[in-house]
Amino acid sequence: MVGLSLGEKNFIKGGIAQDIRTDGRKRLTYRPIFVETGVIPQASGSARVKMGATDVIASVKAELGKPNASHPDKGKVSIYVDCSPTAEPTFEGRGGEELSMELSTALQRCLLGGKSGAGAGIDLSSLSIVEGKVCWDIYIDGLVVSSDGNLLDALGAAIKAALSNTAVPKVQVAANASLDEQPEVDVSDEEFQQFDTTGVPVIITLTKVGRHYIVDATAEEESQMSSAVSISVNRQGRICGLTKRGGAGLDPSIILDMISVAKHVSEQLINKLDSEIAAAEACEEE
Amino acid sequence: MAGKTINTPTTYTPSPTSQNKKRSSIFTGSDWVRPDGRGLHQCRPAFLRTGAVNSASGSAYAEFGNTKVIVSVFGPRESKKAMMYSDMGRLNCNASESKDLSSMLLKALEGAIILESFPKTTVDVFALGVGVWWNIPYIAGDLPVVISCASLALADAGIMLYDMVASVSMSCLGKNLVIDPVSEEESYQDGGLMITCMPSRNEVTQMTVTGEWSTPKIHEAMQLCLDACSKLGKIMRSCLKEAVSAPQE
Repeated sequence: MVGLSLGEKNFIKGGIAQDIRTDGRKRLTYRPIFVETGVIPQASGSARVKMGATDVIASVKAELGKPNASHPDKGKVSIYVDCSPTAEPTFEGRGGEELSMELSTALQRCLLGGKSGAGAGIDLSSLSIVEGKVCWDIYIDGLVVSSDGNLLDALGAAIKAALSNTAVPKVQVAANASLDEQPEVDVSDEEFQQFDTTGVPVIITLTKVGRHYIVDATAEEESQMSSAVSISVNRQGRICGLTKRGGAGLDPSIILDMISVAKHVSEQLINKLDSEIAAAEACEEE
Repeated sequence: MAGKTINTPTTYTPSPTSQNKKRSSIFTGSDWVRPDGRGLHQCRPAFLRTGAVNSASGSAYAEFGNTKVIVSVFGPRESKKAMMYSDMGRLNCNASESKDLSSMLLKALEGAIILESFPKTTVDVFALGVGVWWNIPYIAGDLPVVISCASLALADAGIMLYDMVASVSMSCLGKNLVIDPVSEEESYQDGGLMITCMPSRNEVTQMTVTGEWSTPKIHEAMQLCLDACSKLGKIMRSCLKEAVSAPQE
């Protein structure tokens, strides 16, 4: 990224203070979101989301596996994000590793809920086939193709879209399996069931620049931030996860204020995303 | 651990660990009885000591219940990968097992250190734990203990800080908010919250939340955690004062 001059930095900060950002948006306005589903035919589900110049792809693969001994009635989900060097030359080799880990951890936190399963965006018990023996393993992979700020929100949206696009094959378990043996599982090629994504939350990142917060920061705006808080909100308005990024300290009242702003913004974002996803799916079917 | 005996009366009695307890069904709905008998809003008793490692610039030892952590700080010293001049100092954290933890520790401490006071050099923080349990990504397990101990070690090393960093985590079990959970309690939690803050400045440097929370619950949890952090901050300060005013041997 090209460095910013002092004049440009002041321009960005001053604009945000006056509710006019460099691209003309208000503080709480998102860039136009473009969703495309089914971009990777070999995957069980996939989606590509573009927010301005930020471009991310998410793919979902479902495979049969054995559940964890400590949670025999639940399936497993693993989320991994890869930052491709095409986005930023600094991402090559180990450079992107730290950012990938940060994004993967934040996404896992937001989508997988508490240990007991409460508040999870994906219902793990629905992934169990035979308790203790066979379950679905869901591998969610995110790829950052082009980075212009706000990667976490874009990845969250892409994962939500990819999950709506995911078709998990129906399984039939052989009826007379004894307790010790691995039961025979017949994976159907014809029949599929769609994933239920009404519970999947969206992630809203609020970036604090000066004394105001903005939503959907571009890379330039992110370079001027003092700190950022990413909040995951579901359709019912409950907070499903929160991560604070950035080194500067924040007054607790500001964090609480950010939470209420995020809830307010989330309603519009969820509706927008749902309509975009529905449109993308309709497009794909044609 | 070699050699050095610590001549202070113990401030807690360790609770016996019961390894093969069956997973009992939880939530009688009204009250969660904690395995070590603490109240819901009661933290584990803390034992803190600085100067545990002689060869380090600064170090601290912390015992919270069964968790024992040593953190040693080396620096400011010449940066190994210093090809570039930087007018801010660098902080490098290493928490024995994973990179995940090291990066969380780094983020928690970064906001409290006055990096401009040691340009061109690096401060290294090394953390080692016994009986510590980690559990990324759900919540941070005993990371709060490591963070608090690390900030004590930094103060012991004489690194300039804006304020002490205290950290506390909390679990939501059904309707109850339980502070400073042990691994057993956290495995049943519906939601978890960890706050790292600078008590005197009333600033939060790191906050992570998992699970489903309603806004009033988050308010309540944050308030409880911040109160606990300020108490922990006072304990840390008194530990530092003791270390300084103790007669030289």
